[in-house]
Amino acid sequence: MREMRRLSCLIVVLLSWQTLWLRAQDVTLPVKSGSVRFVAIGDMGTGDAAQYEIAKRMIEMHQKFPFTFVIMLGDNIYGGKSPADLQKKFEIPYKPLMDAGVQFYAALGNHDDTNERFYKFFNMNGQQYYSFKKGNVHFFALDSNYMDPKQLTWLEKELANAGTDWKICFFHHPLYSSGAFHGSSTELRAVLEPLFVKYGVQVVFSGHEHVYERVKPQKGIYYFTEGASGELRPGNLRKTDLTAAGFDKDRSFLGVEISGDDLYFQAISRTGATIDSGAIRRPVEVQPSAPPASVHNPLVR
Amino acid sequence: MPDRCLGAAVLFATLIGVVRISTAAAAPQAAPAAPESPALHQFTQSVQQYIKLQKAVPRLRTTKKREEIVERREALREKIREARAGAKQGDIFTPEASEEFRRVIRSTFQGPKASNVRKTIRQGEPLQGWHLTVNGDYPERLPMTTVPPTLLLGLPTLPAEVAYRIIGHDFVLEDKEARLIVDFIPGVIP
Repeated sequence: MREMRRLSCLIVVLLSWQTLWLRAQDVTLPVKSGSVRFVAIGDMGTGDAAQYEIAKRMIEMHQKFPFTFVIMLGDNIYGGKSPADLQKKFEIPYKPLMDAGVQFYAALGNHDDTNERFYKFFNMNGQQYYSFKKGNVHFFALDSNYMDPKQLTWLEKELANAGTDWKICFFHHPLYSSGAFHGSSTELRAVLEPLFVKYGVQVVFSGHEHVYERVKPQKGIYYFTEGASGELRPGNLRKTDLTAAGFDKDRSFLGVEISGDDLYFQAISRTGATIDSGAIRRPVEVQPSAPPASVHNPLVR
Repeated sequence: MPDRCLGAAVLFATLIGVVRISTAAAAPQAAPAAPESPALHQFTQSVQQYIKLQKAVPRLRTTKKREEIVERREALREKIREARAGAKQGDIFTPEASEEFRRVIRSTFQGPKASNVRKTIRQGEPLQGWHLTVNGDYPERLPMTTVPPTLLLGLPTLPAEVAYRIIGHDFVLEDKEARLIVDFIPGVIP
């Protein structure tokens, strides 16, 4: 009887491993022809084993989901900023991706050196805030450490000129967060949200809180926090009315694909498990001040 | 014809008014520094003078070599320290300018948005117990405290080369490229 129980336990364990292994290989993003594909990582620059394991998962994902760039949500380099630190905390873990032509676009976090803007691999072109375009998507990288009137004026002008493209902002401090350590950056929200609403920003990515969270749409805008691509605060997510999905048990990163009016996302943990996935549809034509997006086939976990 | 001109003028004025109202609606409340203040005018002039020192070292272009960024920062530090060998606290934040800054900071921290302003600082993992010196290094390994946007809206806007920082209870002017403490007002942050 005891032998039978041992055997059944063994079978259960083996099946669990097999399930995990299958899930690790599983990319649910559609990989449509001509789509804009990228990965979002935040708070990753520790140089420790967990960062390297997430980088390995990203490299695996790249085989099946050939993303062309990565957005970095700040705290790109923790602690020391020497050339050796930059190697250990950025160049070595992501080298296979850079060798494959993947570009990295950084936003500055509170642990970053402002001189990182001169580092060519971060594609900041010497600017603390900047924008770039990929296909029909306009990206705005902001410096949330220092949101002065000059940056706000720049952002308003850039958003106004972005036309009917997708508008995606990314920066370090989350405007909405259920994280227990920092929570929502309400003062920053007071200055940024009116611009996001006015000019039809659809999606915002942030870090800072060392968890993964997808927030329910706020004033029609989708907010993702991905601050666990190197650092982690286990158990720090206190799911609130804001939370659509969240994960605080392990490190993670987020794959995103935009094709026409659809945005698909898949968050993956260090073990390769899918921790959240779904899709967002935006209206065909976005007018300033119009509600920018609506839910389409969400796969809420 | 004059009626048409008058109509166009009225339309223009209305549009300007709408734009202004819309901008004002988006902006949070702030306690602006007195723009005409001679003390702040002097402060702005001093900052401009300081920026000229950076020209002693060629501007950095983006580079794949982190060493170049570090070397340039070190060269800049050296030149600035030489040029400002006798610099002391209060040279740029003069007592008169400090009083203006104190007023804006006080009103921001006591105003209707005070709790959000304090929360912003807490969320930025504030630095405590750091002993500041003019021409001293900005503590590179330590996190940067977020400067509350409401406060920034009330202060003179700075050129891109320098920034306001908060370190503990001190209000700091930082050279972002040399990563130096240019000047500071001690104990002004509640």
